Amino acid sequence: MLKRSATLAMHAPSQGTGGAPKLAPGALMKIAVPVVATVAALLVGLLIIASTGSSVTEAMLAFWDGMAGSGYNVGASINRAISLGFVGLGFIFANRANLTNVGGEGQIAIGGMFATAMALHGAASLPFGLAFVLPLLVGTLAGALWGGLAGVLKSSRGTNEVISTLLLTFIALPVVYWSVESVRLLRKPLTEVSSLPESAEIADPTKLPMLFPNDPTSPLHIGLVLFVIAVVAVWVVLKHSAFGLKLRAVGLNELASRRAGIRTGRLIVASMAIAGGLGGLAGAIMIQGQNYYLTNEFSSGYGFDGLVVGLLSRGSPLGVVVGALLFGFLRSGSIAMEITAHVPAAVVLICQGLIVIAVAGSTWLIDRKASK
Amino acid sequence: MALLELAGVAKRFGAVLALDDINLDVARGEVHCLLGENGAGKSTLCNLIFGVHRPDGGRISFDGKPFSPSGPIDALRQGIAMVHQHFSLVGTMTVVENLMMGRARRVLEPREVIARMQRLADEYQLEIDPWRIVRELSVGERQRVEIIKCLLGDPQLLVLDEPTAVLPPEEVESFLTVCRRVADSGRGVILVTHKLAEIATVADRTSVLRHGRVVETVAMEGADMRRLVCSMIGHDIHTGDGVLAATLGLADAPAADADAIAQAAAHSRRGRDGGPPALLLKGVTYRDANGVTRLDDVSLTVHSHEIVGIAGVEGNGQSELGAILAGLADASSGQITVDGTDLTGAAPKDITACGVGIVPEDRHAVACVTALSIAENLCLGATERYSRFGLLDRGAMSKATAALMREFDVRASGPDAPMSSLSGGNQQKAVLARELSLSPLKFLLAAQPTRGLDVSAVEAVYSRIQAARDRGLGVLLISSELNELIAVSDRVAVMYRGRIVGEMAATAANREAIGAMMSGHSHA
Repeated sequence: MLKRSATLAMHAPSQGTGGAPKLAPGALMKIAVPVVATVAALLVGLLIIASTGSSVTEAMLAFWDGMAGSGYNVGASINRAISLGFVGLGFIFANRANLTNVGGEGQIAIGGMFATAMALHGAASLPFGLAFVLPLLVGTLAGALWGGLAGVLKSSRGTNEVISTLLLTFIALPVVYWSVESVRLLRKPLTEVSSLPESAEIADPTKLPMLFPNDPTSPLHIGLVLFVIAVVAVWVVLKHSAFGLKLRAVGLNELASRRAGIRTGRLIVASMAIAGGLGGLAGAIMIQGQNYYLTNEFSSGYGFDGLVVGLLSRGSPLGVVVGALLFGFLRSGSIAMEITAHVPAAVVLICQGLIVIAVAGSTWLIDRKASK
Repeated sequence: MALLELAGVAKRFGAVLALDDINLDVARGEVHCLLGENGAGKSTLCNLIFGVHRPDGGRISFDGKPFSPSGPIDALRQGIAMVHQHFSLVGTMTVVENLMMGRARRVLEPREVIARMQRLADEYQLEIDPWRIVRELSVGERQRVEIIKCLLGDPQLLVLDEPTAVLPPEEVESFLTVCRRVADSGRGVILVTHKLAEIATVADRTSVLRHGRVVETVAMEGADMRRLVCSMIGHDIHTGDGVLAATLGLADAPAADADAIAQAAAHSRRGRDGGPPALLLKGVTYRDANGVTRLDDVSLTVHSHEIVGIAGVEGNGQSELGAILAGLADASSGQITVDGTDLTGAAPKDITACGVGIVPEDRHAVACVTALSIAENLCLGATERYSRFGLLDRGAMSKATAALMREFDVRASGPDAPMSSLSGGNQQKAVLARELSLSPLKFLLAAQPTRGLDVSAVEAVYSRIQAARDRGLGVLLISSELNELIAVSDRVAVMYRGRIVGEMAATAANREAIGAMMSGHSHA
């Protein structure tokens, strides 16, 4: 946003004062508009549900129950939000350098795959919690390499990172499929009772510790703590570090940054690697925190939803938290609606899309009001 | 009756009143000069007349009728044509193709356009080969194409924005002849400029614009040019100030030539006394991505205590030379040495570390990140100095920046003001502050450092550069403003088509010879 207003100021016909301070729109409006828009989108969604012949009340009840009907469901929603949040954080990190990382899905896949491999082969017997830390690190590193690859292509060959990260995703997903299809890779040994293409379950020490071990109904694990740390770290780096300033400078004007002595190529690789690393960590947390074994398409779109979270957050880590929670709860509700109320999956997706448009539209509206 | 008449016209952008109560009239057969500094409102006024902006108040009448065009196309249709400072031609197409653009209906008929071109050529001395590719034309020829493009529509009023800024000295004369002839054919001509002297011979009247107001309109016959220029900048200029006078085009070069020669000699003697030269270029050649040779075997020495000017019409390799010295492009061959250190192919960071200050020619694209604050811009290359454990010490940044801003007279609301909120002059002073405060500092490249600046800022920039020279710095000054160059430099090298075609002392006596070399006519 800063960039846009600055460009406007540059084109303003007369230089000087820089314009009077703009009136901030009421804080009430900032909250009210997205809420009203979301409710409106839900109402439209309900109309569509009604038109498909499903019971609207049943669908609504299922939706609510899935989101927050029980302690377990709330926890599951938060766990979903964590995965989305990591990808969203990665997105805003790269976006600060004006790079658009759309490869979250692939980075999750690669991170989850390597975390599984580490957990199954070697980490389980390690002491001092290394059993679960090491797979997390390996997953992060794998995601970082996967994302960094797009950075290298960008800085050395000028390849557009939107295309390269997307294509890398198209490589990553089949690689995961291959790894769970081949017994020589991660597929669990074929027996008579189970022949599904998936890995064996990872051992208990490699699973993420529960946040409330005394409450067996809570699915929350320490991924939540890691996420909070990551949010604070990303905020500090973007806002207060020299690295963050350089990222911003490169994002705003690469040529001027290069002239000022910033090694822009390294910076581009680093920011893509960090974005990929956060995606990889999301994948590792999904495997070690909840799924416990690797399956084909275990991410099922978290990378792309996380991208939307990042886009809607408009560069703010706090915005990522809000967006991730919104999408995490929505996803839980949608799944429940699909399963218990038998609303077609496509309709659920349409409702999600409507909500995205509502939120994006209302932020745009607030922006426009603010700039007038 | 006046052809164009503006009465009480005003235009505001947000809180800024760009034009205030403008009264102006242009008659048929008149060349009317619009004189004003950058930011005085000249461009806004032109855009109002050409229909780009709409006035917020007042009346405009054209040819006796109220005039309120809905946009440039409407203005063109009603008989007003404009040549912008930056030409709007397609470089890869021929002249006649460019002329047909926007005019052709269904079947392209170049013959008719060529016939009309011929008539215009006869009438106005606007000779040009219709089949040449625009990219291969000189700037003066391109300007001619732009004027032909306007005249094909048979306009009643022709508006020319800073038309002489892009021309080599010797092409100005023929341009002025064209203007006169266009006016004599019963049309009105508006010439926008901040350099009165160049076009004084052709203008009938001059309106002086200052801070968005027309301060006065005078007939040029018998007018006192110095007084007009003072009226433009709003204060008296000191008679002894050679640089300022040269900037305004009032004087050809510093008053005392003998002194200048002696001074230049003294400077270069001091420089040669010992130690390696500040900058040494040996056979630097640069071919661009298309294999076109942009710099051809450039060899040049800049000693310490010396300002060497590079004169030349824009586009003769100066930008490429600047980019190579800044580390943004790599020379295809040749060697670059600064103070004895080989910097051929070095990265910008290493070049800076070696004590090379760079004032790039493009302030917005290269010199600074306009969306960042002044402090962030000044500290961007030295974040290690202003951070602890990777975290920025914003207090220290602001403090250091505030000190530099005081020293270099950068006027802004504070060190945290975004660079984009500064005027061009203050932006340039900030860039200069950053580059001149490097430590060590051995050599400074200043590329078009005064482009787009108003007079007082020009003065400030050059006095800083000269002060740094006096303290021992070697400076390479690239500028397309020959008068400024001669006034500020000790020695001038002339670039033409990527080569250094001559070098001479920067004196008024050499002005004509330098001008001739710039046009590629005589090789010294």
